[in-house]
Amino acid sequence: MAQDRKVCVAVDAMGGDYAPEEIVKGAVLAGQKGDVEIVLVGQVDAMEEELARHDSSGLPIRLAEATEVIREGEPPASAVRRKPNSSIVVATKLVKSGEADAIISAGPSGAVAVSAVQHLGMIEGMERPAIGGGFGSFAPGILLMDLGANVDCKPYQLVAFAVAGSVYARKLLGVPNPTVGLLSTGAEEGKGNELVREGYHLLEDSGVNFIGNIEGSDILTGKANVIVLDGFVGNVLLKFYESIGDYALGWMRHKLKRYPLLGWIAKLVFDKTLPIAKLSYEGEEEGSGILWGVNGIVRVAHGACRASHIAHGIAGAKKAVVADIIGALKPELERFKKEGKL
Amino acid sequence: MSVEEQIRDIVSRIAHVDKSIITRESTFKDMKADSLDVVQALVAVEEAFDIEIPDEEAQKFQNFGDFVSYVESRAAKKDEA
Repeated sequence: MAQDRKVCVAVDAMGGDYAPEEIVKGAVLAGQKGDVEIVLVGQVDAMEEELARHDSSGLPIRLAEATEVIREGEPPASAVRRKPNSSIVVATKLVKSGEADAIISAGPSGAVAVSAVQHLGMIEGMERPAIGGGFGSFAPGILLMDLGANVDCKPYQLVAFAVAGSVYARKLLGVPNPTVGLLSTGAEEGKGNELVREGYHLLEDSGVNFIGNIEGSDILTGKANVIVLDGFVGNVLLKFYESIGDYALGWMRHKLKRYPLLGWIAKLVFDKTLPIAKLSYEGEEEGSGILWGVNGIVRVAHGACRASHIAHGIAGAKKAVVADIIGALKPELERFKKEGKL
Repeated sequence: MSVEEQIRDIVSRIAHVDKSIITRESTFKDMKADSLDVVQALVAVEEAFDIEIPDEEAQKFQNFGDFVSYVESRAAKKDEA
């Protein structure tokens, strides 16, 4: 990061179900805080039109032109290579060139990952990127890795996730000696599928602060700070978890229909004081996660994310830059690789 | 080590397949390699041979043999220069 300027985040303005409206709005929200520079990357006419809807004068937001857009459903590798002027690729290259310190995109996550691998490269010791993230303010101090980048994992990848997750917990969650748990179907050593059973032994011998298997019921308790799991389970778990708030609110509304007074009180409480619909995704982890393993800070946001998610994601990207997570991860992975653990 | 053997090493390492099953007719799909594997293989080969593989060329590769032939021709031109 350049020392003489604020952290600069490249924002893919064209990626996501509600792009560019919600993305530009999110950038404006983040820009209003004034502690981060933002480069909106995309089709200039569309971005200018959206910016004109907001009071953005004087905000630290500039535009970078990218004429193409990678859409959901396009094969990631060929889309990235076929569309060098896409917002995802142009934004990634801004990080590569040092013009920006981080990127956030709600575009197709496969394309974001491919672009990051192609243009930023991988950090030695981590073969494939992994998405790490937590469960927001509802369960602070825990994070899960991988949340969906690797549907099929090899046992040794779980060790890389544990190493990266430990760096994440130390640098971003402020946990000095994070514990690592392996998500399984039981706490005993022999529980779980082949991946988990093999991963258990590798983690046990790896030198990370491994506390053994943890079960689904342990996730939110903070029994382990870093929860290692394959991307298939991680993604299913994340989406299920994120659906709980809205579902619980709907369920309560339905149950309280017959009691108008109670319903009114509940609405007051749960809309304002305890926004239960947001319980499962609040704070800087809301709506996006860091793509770990690539040689640059990349935040992958949900396709359906809204302005507040983007604003939080930008804040989270800034925090990751300031914490120098890449600088912290490189020597850790190098050490584990040297010791033959990766 | 020949260009083909070097590329086979790289692809085998990235796609986690045994070198012996990679023939010139093999496709990335045959090797169950996904998008990231393909990109990582291209980047690794570019670095190993200090060449840049333009996107339009990479898209033409139908199989491992096409990939190898392209890199061989680029490597030969580089040696001549």
